[in-house]
Amino acid sequence: MKSPQHDKLSSIESIQECLRHENYICNKKIATTLYLAHHLGKPILVEGPAGVGKTELAKTTASFLDLPLIRMQCYEGLDESKALYEWKYGKQLLYTQILRDKLSDVIAGADGLAESMARLHQYDDIFFSTHFLEPRPLLKALQQDDGAVLLVDEIDKSDDEFEAFLMEILSDFQVSVPEIGTIRAITKPFVFLTSNNTRELSEALKRRCLHLFISLPDPQLEREIIRVRVPDVSEQLNIQLVSFVQQLRELDIKKIPSISETIDWARVLLLLHADKLDPDLVRESLHIILKFEEDIKVAEDNLLEMTGKALKETVR
Amino acid sequence: MEQVLRDFIVALRASGVRISVAESIDAMNAAKLIGYSDRNVLKDSLSVVLAKSYYEKELFDSCFSRFFSFEAFSHEKGNPLDNPSIEQQDGNSLLTQMILAGDTSALAASMREAALDLNVNQMQYFTQKGIYIHRILRHMGQENLRRDIQRLCQEDTEYSREVATMLTNAEDYLLENVRDYVEQQYDLFAGSLEEELLENYLKEIKLSNLEQRDLYRMHAIVHKMVKRLNDIHSKRRRTFRRGQLDFRKTLRSNVANQGMLFDIKWKKKKIDQPNIVAICDVSSSVSAVARFLLIFLYSLNKAIAKIRTFIFCSNLVEVSNIFDDYPVEEAVAKLHSGTGLGVVLGPTDYGQAFRDFHEQWPNIVTNNTTVLILGDARNNYTNPETRLLKAIQQRCKRLIWLNPESPSSWGTGDSEMHRYRPYCHVAKECNTVNHLERVVDSILDR
Repeated sequence: MKSPQHDKLSSIESIQECLRHENYICNKKIATTLYLAHHLGKPILVEGPAGVGKTELAKTTASFLDLPLIRMQCYEGLDESKALYEWKYGKQLLYTQILRDKLSDVIAGADGLAESMARLHQYDDIFFSTHFLEPRPLLKALQQDDGAVLLVDEIDKSDDEFEAFLMEILSDFQVSVPEIGTIRAITKPFVFLTSNNTRELSEALKRRCLHLFISLPDPQLEREIIRVRVPDVSEQLNIQLVSFVQQLRELDIKKIPSISETIDWARVLLLLHADKLDPDLVRESLHIILKFEEDIKVAEDNLLEMTGKALKETVR
Repeated sequence: MEQVLRDFIVALRASGVRISVAESIDAMNAAKLIGYSDRNVLKDSLSVVLAKSYYEKELFDSCFSRFFSFEAFSHEKGNPLDNPSIEQQDGNSLLTQMILAGDTSALAASMREAALDLNVNQMQYFTQKGIYIHRILRHMGQENLRRDIQRLCQEDTEYSREVATMLTNAEDYLLENVRDYVEQQYDLFAGSLEEELLENYLKEIKLSNLEQRDLYRMHAIVHKMVKRLNDIHSKRRRTFRRGQLDFRKTLRSNVANQGMLFDIKWKKKKIDQPNIVAICDVSSSVSAVARFLLIFLYSLNKAIAKIRTFIFCSNLVEVSNIFDDYPVEEAVAKLHSGTGLGVVLGPTDYGQAFRDFHEQWPNIVTNNTTVLILGDARNNYTNPETRLLKAIQQRCKRLIWLNPESPSSWGTGDSEMHRYRPYCHVAKECNTVNHLERVVDSILDR
């Protein structure tokens, strides 16, 4: 099967190029994983610290492949009726009301209860047909003609039962609806699962997926990301702020800043018309990259030293 | 190349990465798709397919670099075979020819071939290393090399002597490289088997005989066991949320609604959170077991069990707060030294401990409490105060006495075990990690 997406996914380099085109800078590892996922037809399980671009990866993939992104946010208590399908009860009721007259036509002339029943049986499945099926994200993803990008976000937040229920979709790209039968994917969707590792996922789920671990980027990659995401930031400021953030990550703090925080900070500094870091500026805007009072305190203790080091980066 | 990949998967498993058959098939497909031309891309792809957690990725990285390293016969230390003045002669064996030609890559290939023929990856114990080294050397033609050297020595010209010395040196060089290679293969394929053996041994060893160097291993084992217990018991606790319809209750509560089943009641199976009071002897005779018991208890998920801890030697003090303030291992180390806790490390006095417990904390034992006493019951001939133990037993749900000594020595010398015994619901010998796991498991089960 040749789809228009196929060309874009034909080589690792072209994937990397396409992602870059969509303002998503990634290393070769991520591109390789996408390539494998497409050619082996497997879902990707993405793990990594919060804010390294796990969800963003799925979004970007959808936009460069020109496919609809179907997103399902997981939470505790998520079940089939919210994830897969539900019957349109209202519509079923309404139709039975409207068709009540027709009902008497159908049974008219029937002799006795048994015969009316037999006649009704000829129609029994109309109310449980696809017309009355309300597709939820998972089913919707399978029904797309050209395929879709399905993002199952934060799978670790859902229950074990839901995880088990996902298996059928992940391995065979099909779901079973008892009243209708098995629904197969028209085109295999591109599936992303993200996890923040709040609990260990089951072996069975992991086995069915490719496992991608996105770690925090090295300075060079991070600078490039800032350059693409916040293009108006001067090169000098870019180098300094990345160096500062990288130093922050070395400290003993509760929540280390990730890429999204670096990007936010860059935007804020841009708004403040800063073209280089200075200690006061950093102190005032520290709450954008650090989210805990204790962390800010620790950072403030080391602030002068770290800013100095960051400034030195550009002198060299 | 498939054979190589299979070996790699075996090596990965040996280093602790769990790989299913399905995943190894995926790996084959991925490798077929990617090809073997780009090392980094291959590494990334295999890592995506085979290693499924951050921890496993680290194992994978180190295993990959070890497995696909080509350090053997490298020129880093200089090439002793680089000897242009020597020319090839007829009648030399293949190995001699390779050495004389200074063809290290051919030597490496020959060594790998030998290793493959001899199934080096079947190696299990470190004692087998020597055998494999010699088998590989023989397979490569060491005997022929020696014969060549002997013949050259017999010829006894200046040139032949020079060649002979050179070949003798080359033999050492060969041995060194083969040894490195075999060690590397051993690490890859057999390391974990031995680890497993050691682990099983450690689970059964008496904790008091534990060597200092095995302590950190022991911690790892205990953590593994605790994780298992946590998994088992947290799953069970969750079932209490799922109820069956309690029809009788539902009817009764809906009488007011004219029998419309409006307010539905569910049967609920409530699973109690075990309430544990641990009383540990920390005198030197028992401390090793106490240490691990406490690590066990406190590594359990807080939702699974509520624990209060007391330690005693000559007197009794509560130390629960230490576990709240410090991480488990640090807290246990603190208890070990006993500094700043107010516990007097004199002769052990069980009677005094029970008196202290009875006077200062009379109300913490309820009918829902499991009391866990860890000690050898060696009372230094003082009053054992069995009546106080009896009082505790009457109030609590279960009283478990763990004794690090074997039952045959209970009651000998100053051991009062036989007098305490009647007041315990369970009295058990407990001196290995396996014993501990069983005890903790049974406490959580009720």
